Amino acid sequence: MKFGNLLIAGITTGSIYAMFAVCVSVWYRVSNILNLAVGDFAMVGALGVDNLYRVKGLPLPVAIITTLVVVAVFAYLYDQVVLRIAQDGRRPIEGIVITFFFTFALSFFIDGVAKVLFGTDVHAAPTLWGGPALTLGSLNFERAGLLVLACAVIIGGAFWLYIRFTLGGKALEASGENSLGARIVGIDTRQYRRLIFIGTAVIAALFGIVESPITGFTYLSGATISLTGFLAAAYGGFRKPGRALVAGLFIGVLEAMLGGYVSAEYGDTVLYAILAAAILAWPRALGFESAVSG
Amino acid sequence: MSATSGNHSGNPSESGVALAVTGLSVAYGNVVAVHDATFAVAEGDACAITGPNGNGKSSILMGVTGMVRRRGEVAIFGTPARNGDVKWAARHGLTLVPERRQLYPELSTADNIILGCYTWTRSIGKARRSDAYGRAVDLFPELKPHLKQLAGTLSGGQQQMVAIARGLAANPKILAVDEPCLGLAEAVAKRVYDVLAQIHAAGTTLIIVEEAPRRALTLCNRRVEVRNGMAGAA
Repeated sequence: MKFGNLLIAGITTGSIYAMFAVCVSVWYRVSNILNLAVGDFAMVGALGVDNLYRVKGLPLPVAIITTLVVVAVFAYLYDQVVLRIAQDGRRPIEGIVITFFFTFALSFFIDGVAKVLFGTDVHAAPTLWGGPALTLGSLNFERAGLLVLACAVIIGGAFWLYIRFTLGGKALEASGENSLGARIVGIDTRQYRRLIFIGTAVIAALFGIVESPITGFTYLSGATISLTGFLAAAYGGFRKPGRALVAGLFIGVLEAMLGGYVSAEYGDTVLYAILAAAILAWPRALGFESAVSG
Repeated sequence: MSATSGNHSGNPSESGVALAVTGLSVAYGNVVAVHDATFAVAEGDACAITGPNGNGKSSILMGVTGMVRRRGEVAIFGTPARNGDVKWAARHGLTLVPERRQLYPELSTADNIILGCYTWTRSIGKARRSDAYGRAVDLFPELKPHLKQLAGTLSGGQQQMVAIARGLAANPKILAVDEPCLGLAEAVAKRVYDVLAQIHAAGTTLIIVEEAPRRALTLCNRRVEVRNGMAGAA
């Protein structure tokens, strides 16, 4: 049952990509900024909990809550200080600088602080649901993987319900679509930018905590996660969280299948070649043109 | 430099003042768009703000509704309005239907309209059940088949109607409409004005910005003429 197990592994990895892609695209919709630091928040979540629990000896729930609160407060301060000056001042910064630069710099900043605080070794948050893999026939389900999937379904579902069925969710979409039109009906676009930035930072940290027992994290792991989330988000034109989610899952499954059937060594190379070919073949269908033309 | 508006019909309205603007100035950086404009609109009036393009008509509405910061005093039904606070203005009865519609193209028509309710509620259920939303949708039977369609795929005339409907969903006492017929065919423009007349007849005070006064004055009983950023009697 090689196919089934590869599929399970692929969906698990894919759901991680999907979650980060959703975080990137939801915030991009509101702020027109690509969050290149989203993976670094995941890294802080994983290594922060590890540090507080294993090194400092705090009880696990306290370590998790403390880490998430620190991430939320940090995200709030970053929005209040950096993004407010950059975007809300008398002369707001526009274009490529605001789209990339501020979160790129943030990513380096977090990496630097994490190196000092957590060192350079591979660590992971403790497993939240320990025990042997669950089996169903010839299929194996890792418990950590199931936990990741459950989190993805719950958080993804909550996002979907919020956007689809609440006025606040529609206001969020409207502020990304047309910020002038949003202000006309009294939507505070800055408030949504702040809210979603903090929200996605905490979600990313939570995912880091849940996922790190599978892969292990170093202070540099954030960049890779951001990049994969960024890539999957690109397939949704950075503006369509639903498509980004599907793209994330697809990339995860494709990666697992290529690793299993084609070559473990060259799997990633083939994967990126296929992804690039897909963009060249169907730029419009994959949302790339809308990303370019705004 | 300031001047009060003229009264086109010659009959000052006997009811209260809906909107009083005193010494309004709006500037974008160093460029002054509106200089020291003073005028008042009585409750139940339909007031046209006319003048050539680029003379500051839209900036008057932007300043009055709080979309841009201003100098000078604005009072809505006697209460001094907060500077730069769109939501405050909307909650006190003044809503803007902006130039070029400013819709959300990838949201459905129904979502575009219902977001007008955001000025007074956060509950989508309350918004859907509200009279304001119901009236806004009922006023445009031609939009009914398109409620689930993306607003960006509607025709220009339909989009203008969605913009007006969104404004009505905010439940305004004063509706300020900026260039409602920009780029529309004559027949569609006539339909837009028919609807505006209906809204006015239902008791809503109207302020209409128009480059060409001819059409506006079929409906409006007052007129403020804007030239070079200065409002004056016409």
